[in-house]
Amino acid sequence: MAEDNPLLSDRHVAFMLHEVLDAQSLCALPYFAEHSRETFDLFVGACAKLSREALLPAYKSMDEEAAHFEDGRVHTHPVMRELYPQMVELGMLTAVRPFDVDGQQMPLTVASSGFAYAMAANLSAFGFCMLTTGAAHLIESFGSETLKRDYMRKMYSGEWTGTMALTEPGAGSSLGDLRTRARPTEQGHYLIDGAKVFISGGDNSLSENIVHLALARIEGAPAGSRGISLFAVPRLRIQDGALVPNDVQAAGTFHKLGWRGIPSIALNFGDGGDCHGYLVGEPHKGLSYMFQMMNEARIHIGLHAVATAAVAYQESLEYARTRPQGRLPGMAADEPPVPIIQHPDVRRMLLRQKAIVEGGLALVLATARYADLSLHAVDDTQRERASAMLELLTPITKTFPSEKGFESNALAVQIHGGYGYTSEYLPEAWLRDQKLNSIHEGTTGIQSMDLLGRKVLKTGGASVTTLADEIEPSLERARSSAHLASHAGALETALARVREVSEQLLGTAMENPMAALSHSVDYLDMLATLVIGWQWLEMATAAQRGLNASPGDADALFYDGKLRAAAYWMRTELPRVAALADLCVSCEDSFSGMDPESF
Amino acid sequence: MKILVPVKRVCDPDNANKVKVSDDGSSVTSDGLEWKPNPFDEYAVEAGLRLNENAPKNEKLGETVVVSFGASDVVQTMRQTLAMGADRGILVQADDAELDSMVVARALKSLVDAEQPDLVLMGKQAVDGDSNAAGQMLAEMLGWPMATFAMNIATDDGGKTLTVGREVDTGVLTLKVTLPAVVTVDLRIVAPDAVSNGVTPADHKYNDGARYASLKGIMQAKKKKIDQKKLGDLGIDTGLTTTYPKFELPPARTGSCEFVETVDELVDKLHNEAKVL
Repeated sequence: MAEDNPLLSDRHVAFMLHEVLDAQSLCALPYFAEHSRETFDLFVGACAKLSREALLPAYKSMDEEAAHFEDGRVHTHPVMRELYPQMVELGMLTAVRPFDVDGQQMPLTVASSGFAYAMAANLSAFGFCMLTTGAAHLIESFGSETLKRDYMRKMYSGEWTGTMALTEPGAGSSLGDLRTRARPTEQGHYLIDGAKVFISGGDNSLSENIVHLALARIEGAPAGSRGISLFAVPRLRIQDGALVPNDVQAAGTFHKLGWRGIPSIALNFGDGGDCHGYLVGEPHKGLSYMFQMMNEARIHIGLHAVATAAVAYQESLEYARTRPQGRLPGMAADEPPVPIIQHPDVRRMLLRQKAIVEGGLALVLATARYADLSLHAVDDTQRERASAMLELLTPITKTFPSEKGFESNALAVQIHGGYGYTSEYLPEAWLRDQKLNSIHEGTTGIQSMDLLGRKVLKTGGASVTTLADEIEPSLERARSSAHLASHAGALETALARVREVSEQLLGTAMENPMAALSHSVDYLDMLATLVIGWQWLEMATAAQRGLNASPGDADALFYDGKLRAAAYWMRTELPRVAALADLCVSCEDSFSGMDPESF
Repeated sequence: MKILVPVKRVCDPDNANKVKVSDDGSSVTSDGLEWKPNPFDEYAVEAGLRLNENAPKNEKLGETVVVSFGASDVVQTMRQTLAMGADRGILVQADDAELDSMVVARALKSLVDAEQPDLVLMGKQAVDGDSNAAGQMLAEMLGWPMATFAMNIATDDGGKTLTVGREVDTGVLTLKVTLPAVVTVDLRIVAPDAVSNGVTPADHKYNDGARYASLKGIMQAKKKKIDQKKLGDLGIDTGLTTTYPKFELPPARTGSCEFVETVDELVDKLHNEAKVL
């Protein structure tokens, strides 16, 4: 059971990297030239090993013994003091960062494959890495040389941790309303004054110092999102060569449904009037800096969600293969019971989990590949095209695994039956962890408006045309295979309908933008169903290629599994595109037109 | 000191239930299995690195050389130990069918003659064949002192001898061996304080277990040398001593469980039904 859980299937990860995505081809780009299939496989293998041997065994106790607040400090689980240095040593903080900040220039596509194991094993433990590297990356991109020397380096080296301090009690999804103030001083630093909430890792007993990347409004700056600046606000600041307290105070921890290994903190800046903040980049550009990071974070949330669904899928698969219960029709009562995987409905649930987990991982890795190309492709056109795809896919990559992953995690509980509903088994914990992913870094509602409003309508539908252009070669390849032609046909029909709907909504938006956006979540669902269908077509094509090469028994079963999951998606999920399309264009107003008092 | 660490590539022991026997029973098939370094050999690499480094300063006190046998893709498994920190590798190309414990021991002897290490440090056995023989055979051929099943090692006399704690049925047997020597290691050799080299501070706590290949180590490992030799070129007797007439899997367990009322009934069943008494 849990202790033998492989987290993800190694064979599937290798299939994605080498048979579907051709990760090795990235090594032809100068930025990745130091890498090879060997460095890729060794890194992913090392991540899997650490995750299985150290991170997973610590998970249950970190979930049960959440951090506590005592004497003004937050005390995180002591095991983190052992785990964090191991993750740092492995290279998890700096794998994708450039050589000049002691990174290793690993493609995000490959690093994400390794990180997925760590997330599957212990989301919270890996969360400290994610936050620290994200915060350090902000300083790397926009900070002064002094900030890089004094703070960024110690974050990347694992000595200090970092956070993203955005949310305030009155400013969650709407950051433009934030009230934390920054007053300039003659010495060059700013005095920060305000309160933040939901700051993950905002205080901990893991590192000597914590560097908060905080948003605040410089005195006199314009209201709304145009007046927000980014600051580095350390818990201890460097003064005359020594570390001194910087008037940053943890006010308490939130008691959370999941992710209990990483504390969520309420933080006060400047209660004593002595909290120094150092401006990162230019004044008033904080939100745009943060958004660069947020896009990266959203891909990672998608990966969190896939990983959390994956570990539960592996658990329920093993359970179903070994739990004897019930007999098949025609069997005598004195015959031994069969493993529950023999029952058709259990197989339905398992295949649904597989389709969601593997489809989700394919989407996240494909998006990571566009991210790699958007930054490092040599050819301008290729970079621009990859950027356009990255922009369009990011809200889907964040949302599909979070929403459908939750469903997949619920199926893992269901397969475990009554046992799944108890805390003796882990599926209930993973279900709790999963729920956060559709909320943080922009809720599903916000992602859907980003997708339909900003990515589709604002580009005049150009992004959907780009998507169609990218899908076309996949259709072409699949059409030439007798086994896959019908899938290609189904996907082509769905794609045509999505293009039609997007066109129509452009028209609607001219007259009534509110109406055009009223079914944005359905639009996102529709596009996600299509895009996952595209990923399954790609996987099916690679699997068919593998089968044509007369593989051994184990590989033949592996490829057959891909073809069946692809067929499942095409036959049971893709037909939903038509119904969702109708909803989107109808601008049906059952909820949008409802008076709040009528509920 | 110069340490030679033989590392065998084995099927991932976590997938042991997928091991299959070919239809004619002549061989064990590896179809669909993943390869890993033999865990006991990985522990030997870790112990070798601990003996040869001044932790936490990371300064090297000697060279750690890994040796392996097999097809050319064994290089991948070796690269993993180089990424952990070993300095270079030697791969003796051979088919698995050409190898048994005796051939491996003879080949290792020829490499020891050429390399002149102070210590051969290896796993007590490989988790596939579980023979537990190559180390003992090698020590005999070399005429060197030997300590098997090591659970702790300390360097003494300025690196001239080792004090080795051996895990035996009755407890721990402590031996002093003069170098050069052959030491085979057991699981506990990777405990946080199992290895002492007289240089690394006594209060330095290693992580429990073999170290992971860090990404930095992986990038450095790419540039480390792996010499490739052919088994036939070593000038040794390559005749096999061990032959396997047939492989068969143990009978599948029924998974059914029966409770008996008395000890007599149990003895009767074990004698007459299971036929194990």
